[in-house]
Amino acid sequence: MAPVVALIEHADGKAFDTSLQTLAVARSFAAGQAVHALVLSSPIRLDLELGRNAVFALANDLGHYGVNVAHIAEHEALDSFAPDAWAAILGQLADQLDATAVFAAGTERGNEVMARVGARANLPLATNCIAVSAGDPITLTRQRWGGSLLEEARLNSTRPLVTVAPHAVPIETAEAETKVETFTPQLKEQELVVRVIEHVAAAGGGVSLAEARVVVSGGRGVGSKEGFAIIEELAGLLGGAVGCSRVVTSAGWRPHTDQVGQTGTKIAPELYIACGISGATQHMAGCKGAKRILAINSDAEAPIMLNSDYAVVGDLKEIVPAISKEIRANRGHAG
Amino acid sequence: MTVAAVALAVVLVVAVALFSRRAVLLYRLVRMGKPIKRFDDLPGRVRAEAVVVVGQSKLLQRLLPGLMHAAIFWGFIVLLPTIAVAMIGIVDQHATLPWLGEQGWYALLVDVFALLVLAGVITAFAIRKVQKPGRFAGSHLREADLILLWIAGIVITLFLWHASRIALALNEYPAAWAPISNLLAQALGGPLTPYVERAAVWAHVLLILSFLVYLPYSKHLHIFLAAVNVFFGRTKSRGRLEPVDFEITPAEDVRFGMATVAEMTWKQMVDTMSCTECGRCQEVCPAYNTGKELSPKLLIMALRDQMLADGPKALASANAKLQPLVPVAVTDNVVWDCVTCGACVRECPVGIEHIDHIVDLRRNLVMVESRFPEEAASMLRDIDRGSNPWGKPQGDRAQWAQGLDVHVLQPGEPAPDVLFWVGCAPSFDERAKKSAISTAKLLKEAGVDFAILGPREACTGDPARRMGDEYTFQKRAKQNVATLNEAKATKIVTTCPHCFNTIGSEYADFGGRYEVIHHTEFLAGLVREGKLKPLAGERTITYHDSCYLARHNDVRNQPRELVAAAGRAVEMPRNRERTFCCGAGGARMWMEEKRGRPINQERVREAAGTGADTLAVACPFCTVMLDDGVRETGAKLQVIDLATLLSEAVERRKAQDAAASH
Repeated sequence: MAPVVALIEHADGKAFDTSLQTLAVARSFAAGQAVHALVLSSPIRLDLELGRNAVFALANDLGHYGVNVAHIAEHEALDSFAPDAWAAILGQLADQLDATAVFAAGTERGNEVMARVGARANLPLATNCIAVSAGDPITLTRQRWGGSLLEEARLNSTRPLVTVAPHAVPIETAEAETKVETFTPQLKEQELVVRVIEHVAAAGGGVSLAEARVVVSGGRGVGSKEGFAIIEELAGLLGGAVGCSRVVTSAGWRPHTDQVGQTGTKIAPELYIACGISGATQHMAGCKGAKRILAINSDAEAPIMLNSDYAVVGDLKEIVPAISKEIRANRGHAG
Repeated sequence: MTVAAVALAVVLVVAVALFSRRAVLLYRLVRMGKPIKRFDDLPGRVRAEAVVVVGQSKLLQRLLPGLMHAAIFWGFIVLLPTIAVAMIGIVDQHATLPWLGEQGWYALLVDVFALLVLAGVITAFAIRKVQKPGRFAGSHLREADLILLWIAGIVITLFLWHASRIALALNEYPAAWAPISNLLAQALGGPLTPYVERAAVWAHVLLILSFLVYLPYSKHLHIFLAAVNVFFGRTKSRGRLEPVDFEITPAEDVRFGMATVAEMTWKQMVDTMSCTECGRCQEVCPAYNTGKELSPKLLIMALRDQMLADGPKALASANAKLQPLVPVAVTDNVVWDCVTCGACVRECPVGIEHIDHIVDLRRNLVMVESRFPEEAASMLRDIDRGSNPWGKPQGDRAQWAQGLDVHVLQPGEPAPDVLFWVGCAPSFDERAKKSAISTAKLLKEAGVDFAILGPREACTGDPARRMGDEYTFQKRAKQNVATLNEAKATKIVTTCPHCFNTIGSEYADFGGRYEVIHHTEFLAGLVREGKLKPLAGERTITYHDSCYLARHNDVRNQPRELVAAAGRAVEMPRNRERTFCCGAGGARMWMEEKRGRPINQERVREAAGTGADTLAVACPFCTVMLDDGVRETGAKLQVIDLATLLSEAVERRKAQDAAASH
């Protein structure tokens, strides 16, 4: 029987959770057929038999998730994301194995690679699926409308291409004997034209708002674009990210990407420091995931004061620099 | 048969054939359109026809262009019989239309109205060439010039013909009845006059017939279709959207908005064909006026162009490959820029309903393509799952009423006189809560028997619906209608114009028929009845009309009664049915305004310009948007809901009475 193939994304020697979730869906589709995995890597240059290489170890460990054969494709260009190259390799492997289906996580990368696989082979792609069963036609359950609707769809395809909605299905363990093989792709030069050549950290110290452990936000009370210097300073000292309210982005003081709120970024830090933010519902909807909220506001009646764990009534222009100064002083002693 | 008669017959046949070829194509396109119910309410339709078409009401809102158009329009109506007169004149120089052609008073009318048309054409040129208003940006200007010249030619040849007939003593009516033609006749009378007479009448008829042929190929088709489109416009419930029927079988026939021209309704097709590119919609559009991609005019023009390109393909084959309307005709941004404020719809003299196009495009993008501004996703999900757009716990819905002794109606309890439908924002949002609290206090003060539904109240679904997520909307609509019907609610008071519109104008489609009253209407009634006694204070108040109140539902006077009861009123330049949106409508409250200038700030600056110290509002979304706008611009304005202003005024009166009694 022909196998199914799944693309495994990984970093630092660990497969992404989204890829492991993908394996669960791929395995249920396979229903007994072999499950093959594709792991892309820059050349390992180590004897695979030694079993010490992180990528090899990762491939080997895929056995815990029911993978029968893990193919490691090596190429100098594969240490960074190159959608065309990834698609070419995935397509070649699927052809070689005569795969009955190809799976990838419905991440931005996964969707992009699979769209290219589909375009190359002139096959339809079903994105954001949470369940797929074989048959003629193939039946799929897809997440729609931001996850609020499940769509039952039918897919007519000789080789279904499927991406799996991230974090919508659990990771399943299933022990299998994994054979690790190397796969040598044939890459054309033009397939390497589109690739990541450099990572540039976003302004603000490279900590993303959504994942920061500490977020220091400023609102109308900050007063101006320049007023954010003290907010940035405190965020920098705490290794956190800078956020702001909708009023601030509408006033043009900060970019939309900095906005915390219903229509901005939803954050879940350990500590949220809200400076000069009144705490409108639209804003609180974005920071309700915060473990602790410290509010600094001159208005003791501001709604945020009622919704925070710690509240300081006073002028943020005095309080925020004072906190920064204190942190510096403490670090000075410690150092 | 004379040579002239044969020639005329040939020309007539050719003209009618060319006209019909195009007309039949357009008719077949319209017949291909999806169904929509627009044959009800005959009296309302006749009334709209009388007011908007015959009365030119929407055009006359702008005085000079309005008079210009009215002169040309009424002129053409009066001059219509002269086409027959001219054709008869071609065949037999000595004949005319029986009776009418011999009437002196008709000759006078023709003379006067022909002059009016000419004056109209000159005015139109003056507007276009000298004044050059921004509303024409993007319109086909050369085509408009050509049409105006054509009209001028038709009228000038008519004058020339009449004058030469008088000079030749061929007039059937006393020459004195046609003073202008008579005056012109003085200049004629030479030996060439018989030739002038023939040339003029032929030129006149050929100009008319070629104009007739040109019309259906041009933007000037509105001459025929404006009257049709106005007739089939919405007569009642202007705030109501057409529901999607999800129960249709087979399921493949469910119309999830419009993806290609094949999904347009026949009304939408006639809409696009009726557009004459006057740009009145563009001039009032909040999105266009703040530098965004959307122009309602360019939207309709783009849909028309694609309909004319793809429509014939769809007619030729059911499997024709049709281009997607988005992004081929308009970009995604255009579709999402709209605040559904309805300014364009209200302004349009030919009855185009832009919002229906926008919402249908959104329905396709959201329900079929899952393609929409991502920041709105959590709103859709929270309305679907949590019954309010912020995902607040439903159990906290009545928290605002703590300590106010407001009755929360339990299942099975008898219905109160008034059901106070609070709405999500006044239930959960700190700023909007004040309006709910003030309203409840005032209802208590006036001794009104009322109750709220508490956790049984859910979002009406309005933001989801305006976003194009009809499925989530209908889920909420059905649930709320069941709750309201179980509670036997008859009279419902809302503080939110969006709830007001949805429950009052849209829930009827789902089996919910209630008398829905906005709190400003209800409170104004209580003041009039003497149940609430306010005393106006020192405030200078400018009132911001909410689109869904003033424009979509005609509530404009009662809020002003409350303003007068609370302080001194000053009006903003854009007020009443011509109000300017706060920027929150059409689910824009739940999207980031990344393009152009912020709409809320534009409106706040307008309010500040009146010199008022208080910006009165009657909508929780306007409250949030304008209050944000005040913070962003630093305007010296307090944004306060009318209920709170009235509550203040009632307390003021009480304090004064108490002081007087001491």
